[in-house]
Amino acid sequence: MVFASARNGRSAAPLSVRRFAIKTRKGVRPGTPCVWTLLQKAAPAAAAFAAASALAAVSIPAFADCPRVMSLNVCTDQLAMLIAAPGQLVSVSDLAAEPGLSYHHAMAARFNTNRGLAEEVFLARPDVVVTGTFSLHNTTALLKHLGFKVEEFDFSQSLATIPGEIRRMGRILGHPEKSEAMAAAFDAGLAAAKAPACGTAPTIIAYGQNGVAVGADTLAHSVMEAAGFRNLAAELGYSGMTPFPLELLVTSRPDAIILSKPLAGAPALADQITQHPAVQSLSSRRIFLPEAAWTCGGPFTLEAVKTLRLLRDEIAPCTNQTGTAVP
Amino acid sequence: MSYARLNLGLMVLAAGLFILSLLVGPAGLGPVDSLRGLVAGGDEATMIIMREIRLPRALLGLCIGFSLGASGAVLQGFLRNPLAEPGVIGVSAIASLGAVLVFYSGVAGASRLALPAGALLGALAASAILLAVAARHGSTLTLILAGVALSSLAGALTSLVLSLSPNPFASYEIIFWLLGSIKDRSMVHVWVALPLMLAGWILILLAHKPLDALSLGEEAAASLGIDLARTRLMVVAGVALCVGAGTAVAGAISFVGLVVPHLIRPLTDRLPGKLILPSGLGGAALLLAADVAARIAIPARELNVGVVTALIGAPFFLWLVVRSRKDVF
Repeated sequence: MVFASARNGRSAAPLSVRRFAIKTRKGVRPGTPCVWTLLQKAAPAAAAFAAASALAAVSIPAFADCPRVMSLNVCTDQLAMLIAAPGQLVSVSDLAAEPGLSYHHAMAARFNTNRGLAEEVFLARPDVVVTGTFSLHNTTALLKHLGFKVEEFDFSQSLATIPGEIRRMGRILGHPEKSEAMAAAFDAGLAAAKAPACGTAPTIIAYGQNGVAVGADTLAHSVMEAAGFRNLAAELGYSGMTPFPLELLVTSRPDAIILSKPLAGAPALADQITQHPAVQSLSSRRIFLPEAAWTCGGPFTLEAVKTLRLLRDEIAPCTNQTGTAVP
Repeated sequence: MSYARLNLGLMVLAAGLFILSLLVGPAGLGPVDSLRGLVAGGDEATMIIMREIRLPRALLGLCIGFSLGASGAVLQGFLRNPLAEPGVIGVSAIASLGAVLVFYSGVAGASRLALPAGALLGALAASAILLAVAARHGSTLTLILAGVALSSLAGALTSLVLSLSPNPFASYEIIFWLLGSIKDRSMVHVWVALPLMLAGWILILLAHKPLDALSLGEEAAASLGIDLARTRLMVVAGVALCVGAGTAVAGAISFVGLVVPHLIRPLTDRLPGKLILPSGLGGAALLLAADVAARIAIPARELNVGVVTALIGAPFFLWLVVRSRKDVF
């Protein structure tokens, strides 16, 4: 309720005031939960400060000094939606509502959306813009030129970088304690899912539309490894997203194949590769992961690890001789 | 060179390239193992690779190449136009558009016959329009310009339809529909396309007699008892069946039908009817060779076969245009 009123008050402010706000907001009053600017200046005192701000969150009624943040990238969208206070996000990208790309697509219905255009940012005048390093390169350069504060996130290349990105988003949004808890929960969940497994590691391949596989140096690769699989594409020397020859799929016979779901109601030839008789002839286990769980790195990527871990224990179950079963 | 010897030679060439096409692939199978896997069985993986991946690819190269070569020869002969060819005059592009409209709109559901039906309708409409244009205005240039206009329009509409699809992969498939590829096809595609192409070949080959008579002029042909309207119908239907079926499974592969008849014409007695069969065989050989080149040109990264045929065909087309200003045929 209070958040809503704070938001209304803000949007009702005359344009001249809002325009001015870009320059003045840097001087944040101490004691509020959103103290991102100060945290940067007083890095050594960060821990103490986080504790203080946690207390303050109880007593201060509104996140009056939270930076207003606009996200232009589907990956930053999801982290921002998970961490931001209500009303704090000016908008998220319209891709955040795409089920095939965004794990939290349902959540996106609660937010305004943007199409990633510099014009939209200019009109909305957020305090901080969060976006991906590789997305909208020209837009990012233009926004920086216009004096906006732009925070760029690398695409997650492994599970190991996810907690750091969660914490960074928390600092940007001014909720370090919330992101710290989220990152810690992620680490704990990952450690549980990575617990030692029995038998030799089975092989797996993510064989998607158009016969594109996911090789080494990718988030998907680290998910497969964490779940106790050997990534066939990486073992055959492929890295990144790469076309994987159908013939090699037939000769190497992976234990499991991760397929991607075709988009309902919008056919494409790309989806037909899994119907190819050569793919159908393989006895490999086929599995679909929770949709968009590893498109971006985030707390939700853990769901992909868990799903694969269940499959791994099914393919190579523990017997009495080969080790101890993991609960 | 005699007609029989020419056909035999081209048949041997096409057969050789067909076998070469069966032997090339990333799995690195030995030639003996490959052929044993194809005919006798043996190792399961080898058998699947040969029978489900390489055989359909080689068969489609052979059949689509034959269709394009024969269609090019029959169009050049019937229209008495050295630049006529299914790709250049827009039949392939409109067949692509027909397939794209039917498939990506989702109206056809999962039906396997949706693509060929759409492509056939497109090819039929295009052939009928172009032959009507040609019947009204005899000039070589009018037909080619009309074809270029139709081609560009169909290409633009194909790109539009694919860009509007909510499926993010659809826009990548613009390349497939405009350039063509026979990568990772299956026997299902062969069974869908082959009967239609067979019917098209029969119609085209049956047109060889009227075509020879037509080379004497329309009035002379009529005096020899040739029914021009019936011949036109056979050519339209034959080309539409061949090109439509091929395009439905492999996209629009250009220039094969243009290049091959010109390469083979000097080896014949220059009667247009006698050019159809050798052009078909030559087209099969050319497409199979281009497809092998597309696979081995850049290791680990396949080209679309249409890129290779366009690289050969487009400069040739330019040369023909420059030359035809001096003497046509």
